[in-house]
Amino acid sequence: MSALLEADTLLAVDVGSVNTRASLFDVVDGRYRLVATGRASSTAGPPLFDVSEGVRNALDQVRAITGRRLVDESEALIMPATRDGSGVDLFVATTSAGPKVRTVLVGLMPGISVESAHRLAASTYLDVVQEIGLMDRRREEEQIDVILAARPDLILVVGGTDGGAGASVVEMVDVTSLAANLLPESQKPRVVYAGNRTLAASVVERFGDRLPVSLTANLRPSIDREELEPARQLLSEVIAEARRSRISGFDELTHWSGGNLLATADAFGRVVRYLSRVYDRRKGVLGVDLGASQTTVAAAFDGDLRLSVNLDLGLGDALPGLLRHSSLDKVARWLPFEMPASDIHDYLSNKALHPSTIPIEPVELHLEYALARQALRTAIGLARQTWPMVRGQRSVESMPPLEPILASGGALARCPRPGYTVMVLLDALQPSGVSTLVLDPYSLMPAMGAAAGVLPMAAVQVLESGSFVSLATVVSPVGSGRFGRPVLRLRLDREAGGEAVEGEIRLGQVAVIPLGQGQHARLTLRPERGFDVGFGGPGRAGVLRVAGGAVGLVVDARGRPLHLPVDSVRRVEMIQKWMWDLGAQL
Amino acid sequence: MATQYLYNVTHVVPLTTIRRERRLPVPGSVAVRIGQRVQPGDVLAEAQVAPRHYFLDIARGLGLPDREAARQIRVNRGDRVDGGEVIAGPVGISRRTVRAPVDGRIAAVSGSRVLLEVEGEPYALRSGFPGVVTATDGTQTVTIEATGALIQGVWGNGRQEFGLMRLVGDSPDDRLQTDKLDINLRGAVLIAGMCDHPAPLHQATELSVRGVILGSLTSDLIPVAQRLPYPVIVTEGFGRLPINLMAYGLLTSNVGREAAVDARPGGTYEADRPEVIIPLPSARELEVPDEVVPLTRGVRVRVLRAPHMGAVGVIQEIEEKAVPFPSGILARAAAVDLEGFGQATVPLANLEALQ
Repeated sequence: MSALLEADTLLAVDVGSVNTRASLFDVVDGRYRLVATGRASSTAGPPLFDVSEGVRNALDQVRAITGRRLVDESEALIMPATRDGSGVDLFVATTSAGPKVRTVLVGLMPGISVESAHRLAASTYLDVVQEIGLMDRRREEEQIDVILAARPDLILVVGGTDGGAGASVVEMVDVTSLAANLLPESQKPRVVYAGNRTLAASVVERFGDRLPVSLTANLRPSIDREELEPARQLLSEVIAEARRSRISGFDELTHWSGGNLLATADAFGRVVRYLSRVYDRRKGVLGVDLGASQTTVAAAFDGDLRLSVNLDLGLGDALPGLLRHSSLDKVARWLPFEMPASDIHDYLSNKALHPSTIPIEPVELHLEYALARQALRTAIGLARQTWPMVRGQRSVESMPPLEPILASGGALARCPRPGYTVMVLLDALQPSGVSTLVLDPYSLMPAMGAAAGVLPMAAVQVLESGSFVSLATVVSPVGSGRFGRPVLRLRLDREAGGEAVEGEIRLGQVAVIPLGQGQHARLTLRPERGFDVGFGGPGRAGVLRVAGGAVGLVVDARGRPLHLPVDSVRRVEMIQKWMWDLGAQL
Repeated sequence: MATQYLYNVTHVVPLTTIRRERRLPVPGSVAVRIGQRVQPGDVLAEAQVAPRHYFLDIARGLGLPDREAARQIRVNRGDRVDGGEVIAGPVGISRRTVRAPVDGRIAAVSGSRVLLEVEGEPYALRSGFPGVVTATDGTQTVTIEATGALIQGVWGNGRQEFGLMRLVGDSPDDRLQTDKLDINLRGAVLIAGMCDHPAPLHQATELSVRGVILGSLTSDLIPVAQRLPYPVIVTEGFGRLPINLMAYGLLTSNVGREAAVDARPGGTYEADRPEVIIPLPSARELEVPDEVVPLTRGVRVRVLRAPHMGAVGVIQEIEEKAVPFPSGILARAAAVDLEGFGQATVPLANLEALQ
């Protein structure tokens, strides 16, 4: 075992709704490296409702690649690693699989505690099916009937500032506890109280012995302060418990991981927060994870994490949810051809029926990634409502400076060309200034987050090890104007030598300058008046060191916000041209 | 490497044992015994799913302070009361009382308030198909078993019915159209290839049909189908897709027989799928169909995506390595001999076992 690190061999398992992944890491030259990954169909749903089978299949693949025995004859994990090279030293597990946790939210003030509770719910796998509040006009009896009809898995009670008046909270708790106690024994919900701390004992008493209350810190201790993290941690445990009660096999993963089966979104957010402290603190770090059942957006600004989990946005069974936020026309606008909205609707509905299927014809691939763009665009729009304004951000509408932008999820990972992935990310996220786009092709982010508690440096080491793909350094000038007008002049001097690249970029253009992975260059940017590339304002020039990627250096001069041509023929032409420029053609 | 399995399995079986657990959403009372023969419309169990509640304010009713009013309450939690029955009192010279406004049950007594639970229309759990009760927990679940043909679908509108099957059209891709629906189809379960217009679905309502089995439905009709009073089952998916030949053959060979149409919507974490059960007698013991099928040569499969979406075939070979497809995606695949199309290489992810 390495002297520097507490454990050498790390095995991580992530159970998603469609795929179960196992990743084996080992220490090479004092740094963590990915050794092998295995992927199998998840078995959390019918007919098995037992995640173990999917986990075994994924571990089996890792064993087939490495020859390393991971489980013994009784199918128990071998831990710690043995002298003969079997087993692992550390095991971590994450999951996003399982039915939604039906939640009744009981809150006080719509603009204060209830809003915080909504932000809390949106940062984890809760599905708020009913809401009871102080301003509720329904009679108490109706509120009781509403809670009973909701058949919640969880009742989340919030409200009141610490030490503030408590009568209203207590009244709401009385009605809620009465309703919750009327539910059949087999359907008793978990109750979490995250309100006025001084009322905690009274709340516990009111719910009685039959409904134990989990207490956590007030998520709104004062009017101007919000503390979501303690409640989120507790909710992760509640969600894990709710899933364990319906799906088998989670107990084993919990046992192997020493009681730390984490929610995938929490682990994902943990990495993003960690990286925001490690990298340039003046910029934020963004992570997006486009799954089949949800889309997670994690943004962190110098350690301040804003996590958003959208259960009705995803590329599988969650697809119909996209139409609650968006229209079919907004999906169609990303296609490099015209297609009737009805065909898009049929495709979307069929994909929701069979989430694990993959597109094998080019038309379907384009359609799948048009849906991916719109799901991500919608998720980012919702997530940004909780982001703070940061230094260097030009306006509320424009994206704050982000470095890097990490993209994860099965669909993005299997994108056939790096240029195509870049195009999807540019269209959906529309970054501003200079950012690096990084792809997590093996969905390692949750594993890194789960390991971060014990091996904090592993995340950075793996990120820099080549297991993540640096797609491109992207320059996205913020500004608008007439199509074809000059946006900036640039000069690229590669550190490895060779002829400098100089040129002028015009509005509407997507330019790619070759700069391979591992290569670095000195980039001089001279934006025109009205265009901002992040050097302190519009028209301000600057020099910076940039890294290459699978696509190279990309200048996305389509303007921010991106306005696609209204005329469909022209729009299709432009999209085809941009795809060609980015090397995204199939 | 260990045996690989296909976890996506759709059953299209001419004769099998069908065992289904029916479950009340909340505990209630079971009305059948083990060994009892039941018909599709028989109520297996009942429960109060959505009772209404009323607070009776005893303090206000008796004109007393809370503490004194609480002492006048004559009922306890769980008591059944009739409409007009005294709940609290009498007090004072005028002998004031608080009476139950309707029949109900005392759900809770909280201080000087009494919560009265009034039963609504009970939820009736029906068998859905004729069979024999083989198990029950006495409060919430009943298991029914029968023999017959089973055809599973991919989507349903949430309704359940039983009726005589009739074919509309001549082929698995025939549209359901208004000019094909006449009075002779009244009360029948209709089989048609596809539907892309709401009019025939509404006309079927007027004919009081007991169900519609389709290969496909265009997505814009999903909300229309969800509002229909009869069950709609889709066997293939959304768009304009014919019923797969196996299912079509089985359905058409049983035209004129009664069928149970259980159009439950299904879902990622739902054990039950939409299905058609055609009760048929069997002289011998039959196995319950497998829920998981080993991924091997000879397994009958259905293709879940274009091209050849809905096509049925037999696995000839599992490719050793990932195969590149026209979309540029690399995926593990199988060579499948597809009926009507010949041999095709299909990603394993796009296949389901058809049994």
